[in-house]
Amino acid sequence: MTTSATTPTTAGDAELRAARRDRVFAAMATTRLDVLVLGRRDSVAYATGARSLWTAGTRPFGAACVLVARPRSTHVLSTWDAGVPPEVPFGHLYGITWNPATMAASLAAIPGLPEARRLGVDALSPGFERAAHRLAPGAELVPADDVLRAARAVKLPAEVDRVRAAVAVAAAGVEAATAALAADATPGEARAAAVVAAAAQGVTVPSSAPVVQVVDRASSLIHVDIGLLVDGYEGGLGRTVALPGGGSDARSAGVVVAQRRLLDACRPTATARDLRAAAGGATRWMVRGSGMGFEPPVVTHTLGERAVVEQGMVLSVEVEVEGLRRRDLALVGADATHVF
Amino acid sequence: MGAELGRVLAERPAPAGAIDAARMRRERYARLHAEMARHGVEVALLLHGPHVAYASGLPVQAVDVTHAIFERPVAIVVAGEDRPHLLGDDIGPALDVERHAAAWPELDEGAAALARLLAEVAGPLAGRRVAVDEQTGAMLRAGVLDGATVVDASHLLGAARLTKTPDELACIAEAQRRNEQAMLAVQHLARPGATRSEVAGAFLARLCDLDLDAGAGAGAGAGTGGNLIDPIFQPMPRTVADGPRTTTGNVAFPTGVGDPTLAEGDLVWVDTGIEHLGYASDYGRTWVVGRDPSRPERQLFERWCEVMVSVLDVLGPGVTGGDLCRAAEAANDGARPWLPHFYLAHGLGLDSAEMPLVGTDLGPEFDDGLVMAPGMVVVLEPVIWADRVGGYRAEEVVAVTEDGWCHLGGGHPYAPFTL
Repeated sequence: MTTSATTPTTAGDAELRAARRDRVFAAMATTRLDVLVLGRRDSVAYATGARSLWTAGTRPFGAACVLVARPRSTHVLSTWDAGVPPEVPFGHLYGITWNPATMAASLAAIPGLPEARRLGVDALSPGFERAAHRLAPGAELVPADDVLRAARAVKLPAEVDRVRAAVAVAAAGVEAATAALAADATPGEARAAAVVAAAAQGVTVPSSAPVVQVVDRASSLIHVDIGLLVDGYEGGLGRTVALPGGGSDARSAGVVVAQRRLLDACRPTATARDLRAAAGGATRWMVRGSGMGFEPPVVTHTLGERAVVEQGMVLSVEVEVEGLRRRDLALVGADATHVF
Repeated sequence: MGAELGRVLAERPAPAGAIDAARMRRERYARLHAEMARHGVEVALLLHGPHVAYASGLPVQAVDVTHAIFERPVAIVVAGEDRPHLLGDDIGPALDVERHAAAWPELDEGAAALARLLAEVAGPLAGRRVAVDEQTGAMLRAGVLDGATVVDASHLLGAARLTKTPDELACIAEAQRRNEQAMLAVQHLARPGATRSEVAGAFLARLCDLDLDAGAGAGAGAGTGGNLIDPIFQPMPRTVADGPRTTTGNVAFPTGVGDPTLAEGDLVWVDTGIEHLGYASDYGRTWVVGRDPSRPERQLFERWCEVMVSVLDVLGPGVTGGDLCRAAEAANDGARPWLPHFYLAHGLGLDSAEMPLVGTDLGPEFDDGLVMAPGMVVVLEPVIWADRVGGYRAEEVVAVTEDGWCHLGGGHPYAPFTL
């Protein structure tokens, strides 16, 4: 048995973790949260750097992580120290339990939690709401998903590097699927090719559902969209392309132009109104945040009334024109939007 | 004892029968309604993927949690109505639901719209008993359930889901068979020098093929063949002390971190799970890399078989979880043959681990109060550990029947261990 080598993308992990953690504690201070209880895997990963087994879909809310402002400390739900960064001491782990009383005792033992006056949560279940009122009787329960999301919205330089690495893996997947389709593979075989290409780079976790479709057999148009998580960061790429021999399609140029117009509109201070104006010609489109998975803002024809684009955000920009789609991740710069 | 386990499992195959998805949806909806009536609940607001699937028939998407929460479908069930309300995009025509636009409950504007829709379809909620499984921050800010008497929906759903209908069992059996086929196809790749991700990638690729073979062709997460867990191929230490430090002092599994390279002689605990119409499978085995199992390793497996035979000998309706635990311990010289942070057995359905949970830290009184009933799914996962030798772990999925139990799945070999 050998343990894995550190990949280039995990170099500098400690600094990145520290920077993210500082942002979260700063946000807690600004919003006067004494304690922040996080249930979602991406929230926990952002705040602590703890890695855990990926499972698909939603999980019932539970206290997967507890951050205490004073004395500043981080506590993580984990039975083992594998995947837990060294700055979280072993004594700050509380193990997996099926017993609410055991969980309550673990949480009650966290210094600072019982005295909390304002206790933030990233989501809430009726069970945890009851438990929180017993554990911290004087605490006001505060939804803090928005606080955390605001802290995460603008990416750190090291996060941008990780997104870039993740996009490269997604691009390898798109390329493999496209090549397979060009060699007469079925969509299922092409999807398998994308999976194998990502796995060859050590990546076996999706973010979005993979899409591999033949759009139009007559003109050999195919659509491939791959989204995946690399070291916790999302990479994604979507293309509708004509296979070799299928001839060029005038629509291909149209979707490129439409996406470019939308990308150019993703400038600092841009609002939904600006993006909608730029997306005028698209049949369907979406601009949304990306980072440790799907993040706000979300802007479409109907969503995003109060969204404002900020410099340093990473956005997934997708448009569809006449049945052809194109999606890229892009970094919002001061003067231009940079596609990864 | 290994041969006896093989015979026992082969004697009790799952009943053959086609899955009637429409019937399954009707029966689940009726059960959920019955639980709502029992708890005096007038409205159920459901956000957790498996809960939405149970109420509406819309299978969970095999995507990351961040996509699952933002793009999630939401179900609203109103007592007395003959179909659920489903909020989501691209809802297939087969579902018998009242269709509404996607809810986006993570967004403030989505939560506000959800509050308006709730009032529209269920009337004012103030003073009424409303069940909910989870609220997003935006829903809390919007006061979506202000004034209502809030009940934990997971209790209603848990009760409804505790026993499965024949169609649900058939879904689990189908998922398990596909899972077994895919693992059989990739086992030879777990050789010295291979990385976890290579073997996992081959497994995931095989799922794409199986999906196509089955004529579904709809893609992962579209209701069949979706992968539910990052495939686990974890080389295990030979002593607990050589593994990660744990709060239990026992062995760490499954950690789900790193991308280990397999070496000759590694004992690898494998665990994978996929879905069929939203229903999970659970495949667990111990593989040995690059060589046959040693004699001490075979002895671990033999003991594991003894525990399985003893538990299966007891299992049937009316038996308690405590009875199963005692049978397992008796076959293991009185020691508990399972991981202390998990269980001897867990249920399986729209979640990959759900009630009945047997042998957890809920304690012996809980186990003694947990009475097996027809339709319960029991995934047995004993672990035999001998420090310095290592551990053997595997899983079998069975369902409790009127007269005992039946084996879900196709009966997968234990190679390189032989029965």
